Amino acid sequence: MRVVAGGHRAGRDRLMLAPAVLTILLLFGGALAGAVRTSLVPLGGEAGTDAWRTLLSDGEFRDAVRFTLRTAAISTVLAGVLAVLLAWAARRSGTAVRALLALPVPVPHLLVATLAVLWLSPGGLAERILGSLPVDLVHDQEGAGIVLVYLYKEIPFLVVLLLAAMGQGYRERDEAAAAIGVSPRQRLRWVLWPTIRGPLIVGCIIVFAYVVGAFEVPLVVGPSYPPTIAEYALQRSDADLIAGPGIAAAALLSTAAASMLLAALAVRVAKDPQGA
Amino acid sequence: MHLPTRLALLPALALTVLLLAACGDSPPAADTSSASGTSADGFAATEEAARGQTVRWWMYGGDDRVNAYVDDVVAPAARKRGVRIKRVPIADTATALQRVVAERRAGKTSGGAVDLIWINGENFADGKTAGLWLKDWARRLPNARRHVDQGDPSISRDFQVPVDGQESPWQKAAFVYAYDRDRTPAPPRDLDALLRYAKAHPGRVTYPAPPDFTGSAFVRQVVQQKGEDEGFAYLKQLEPHLWRGGKTYPKSEAELNTLFGDGQIDIAMSYDAAFVASAVRKGRFPKSARPFLLGDSSLQNTSFVAIPANAANTEGAQVVADLLLSPALQAAKLDQRTLGNPTVLDLDRVGEQRTLFRQATKSPYLLADLGRPVAELAADTVAPLERRWTQEILR
Amino acid sequence: MRSRARRPALAVVAATVLALPLLALVLRAFADEWRAPALLPQRLGLRGVRVAFGGETGAAFVNSAQVALLTVAIALVIAWPAARVLGERRLRRPGPVFLLLAMPLLIPSYAVGTGLTEWFIRLGLDGTTPGLVAAHLTTVLPYVTLVLLSGFGPRLSAVEEMGSVLGLSPVRRLWLVTIPAAAPTIGAAVLLGFLVSWSDYGASLALGAGRPMLPVVLLPFVGGDPQVAATLTLLFLAPAVAALVLTVRAGRRPL
Repeated sequence: MRVVAGGHRAGRDRLMLAPAVLTILLLFGGALAGAVRTSLVPLGGEAGTDAWRTLLSDGEFRDAVRFTLRTAAISTVLAGVLAVLLAWAARRSGTAVRALLALPVPVPHLLVATLAVLWLSPGGLAERILGSLPVDLVHDQEGAGIVLVYLYKEIPFLVVLLLAAMGQGYRERDEAAAAIGVSPRQRLRWVLWPTIRGPLIVGCIIVFAYVVGAFEVPLVVGPSYPPTIAEYALQRSDADLIAGPGIAAAALLSTAAASMLLAALAVRVAKDPQGA
Repeated sequence: MHLPTRLALLPALALTVLLLAACGDSPPAADTSSASGTSADGFAATEEAARGQTVRWWMYGGDDRVNAYVDDVVAPAARKRGVRIKRVPIADTATALQRVVAERRAGKTSGGAVDLIWINGENFADGKTAGLWLKDWARRLPNARRHVDQGDPSISRDFQVPVDGQESPWQKAAFVYAYDRDRTPAPPRDLDALLRYAKAHPGRVTYPAPPDFTGSAFVRQVVQQKGEDEGFAYLKQLEPHLWRGGKTYPKSEAELNTLFGDGQIDIAMSYDAAFVASAVRKGRFPKSARPFLLGDSSLQNTSFVAIPANAANTEGAQVVADLLLSPALQAAKLDQRTLGNPTVLDLDRVGEQRTLFRQATKSPYLLADLGRPVAELAADTVAPLERRWTQEILR
Repeated sequence: MRSRARRPALAVVAATVLALPLLALVLRAFADEWRAPALLPQRLGLRGVRVAFGGETGAAFVNSAQVALLTVAIALVIAWPAARVLGERRLRRPGPVFLLLAMPLLIPSYAVGTGLTEWFIRLGLDGTTPGLVAAHLTTVLPYVTLVLLSGFGPRLSAVEEMGSVLGLSPVRRLWLVTIPAAAPTIGAAVLLGFLVSWSDYGASLALGAGRPMLPVVLLPFVGGDPQVAATLTLLFLAPAVAALVLTVRAGRRPL
């Protein structure tokens, strides 16, 4: 089976990839095409670039882009660093701890955001327990509440990815390295890092793209101004039935394009996105 | 007879309503229809066509009182006329509109998934401009002809936009405020007093940030009372004394009212005249909460039901809209334990059933007098006001 | 392999930071009255349960479960061969394929939903189970593929090779060797795929045409009625947490 001529094998590989690739091309491509069409053709109107021009000349959109990128970058970097530390600490833990660490993964973002309000808002549970909170976390100007909610959600997500990569193979390599006297620091550099680099980068891209594109969390705990890009899109499409959806689609498409570009670059940098 | 028990009191109420509805909904009598017997016949044909239809009614789904009213009072009455109601709960009316627009864009001119929408204001106006609504049906409904005063501007206009028979009235709403009698024995009674109160109690007053519906209504009330530029000057003066120094605002009415319930601020507000009663029942406000008005007037609006032109079940939807205007179902909403909102019917036109409307109990959580009604601003001024607020006050 | 060193400190921290906030949901669900400054509810009651279990909640639960299970099943079948090719590193330049398959993860699901709505209405797919499954597949397939491919590799190939040497037919080999050996990965993929579909709001709303789905029924209460929202959330999380525990257990089985 394994000793098939190279040409045949490449053909078979293509055939095996075909169902997934075609499904994504059809459905995802269809969704993108639909969004492009919405941004160019208003209801009952002529095709044109009005929506894009309105979007690019809107100061509120520029503020939203700045705020969104900053929030997403901070959330992603902090989540990545903390997830590596936590996964390292939990590398030998049993089922119970692993399940606990993964607990927030199945909880939808929106619910985590409402939990944050229940706990962290003025008069919330944290204040009732502690008396008062030293900082405002809900609706603060800097978006700390948004970052906090994303950390609660995304660190466990990344930890699950990392722990999956740090399975038996990693443990054997690490023990072998230790047995021949490699120092703990060198083991981090030469054993741990190659093991987790791929999944970590892939996970971080997903986190970053999610934070950029999702509206649930900023809608509940974000500041009144600026909005994130997704909130901005939502407000536009709610405020104006005719022109709004086009502007919203244009806003979302531009973030999508940015995320895809970033992902393409990161995959290049990661070289091996699948991890060892 | 099986009645789903949602709220403890609803079965009894629903039973009463059903009995009353059974008396009230005998075939359209020709008592008030002087010249247009033909269109009453027209409705008989509509009723015939409606039998067996299932009406998908898209409406805000986060209020258990409204849900229970529809499921336990309206739906059983509709079933007696051969129509089933399927409530589609949404978080935001715009969702239903976007759905209708998507169908329009896809060229679906019949068989649409939205049969009935609870709607008013900008959403109705936008849909009317886009030609989304079924036309010339609302005034033909038998109960509308009998019991509704079409000359009343609060019925014939919706945020100043002529209704033109494209939506049928359902509810009336008034913008009211709440204070806690134990904490704030003397709440401010008008806008100037509110400013003084905010200065004397920094951080204890705020309002939701527009475009939240309630926050937007507060801004409109200020603009209506003071004029647009003076109103914005007033809001600017108010800002530094607000909760968190006006740097940020609650995002929604629900959040504002939670802050009030948790004792973080002193004044709550809502476009639901019975919201204090509801919040006390749900344990969200203390029992010492009381409603009040700012000034001697209240902002009022009517909400309606509209039928998309491409709806699959337009006949069934009209039967439901007609049912919503029956005196029995309108009277059932007066009770503060259900919805507690004022009727859209003209009480001079309901005849003997007028007695139904006297049953409303007096309650400390309801205002007996909603003050001089102030009509809403034109629908197309709402979005620009919200934008101006974002630019001048928020940024 | 049992853990050599139990780490109570880590467990305690994880429990406090991660689980405690969630536990507040249980209290919230059964608190008919709970306002500051009270640390515990002033009045317990079942109003949340009465409201949450009325209306279309039952139908929504069934619809959501049906769509999620179908979506995951189809995603597994489609993703399996692709994950195999990528996981065994048979491509010289896997970057582009990898990027393409991961692409939908970079777009929020409501953007996918609204983008597909118009086409699906034209095709008569909106509001149908196949339509919802197809829409969910757009976001579920990438997750399932990414997780599955981490399970394929030289280790699995070696075990399979042994199966072949022992003379197992391809079908029996798949059933007796490959699937048991890859069980933890398959479990993780199923869990993640199920959760993504089960909790999807955007695409379900845009393409549901009013069909009750659990997140859609839940959302209106989130703003206005925290007690009912908390009750529905518990109902919502029950299968998710059950699936999580099962998967973590499966994941601990030695390969």
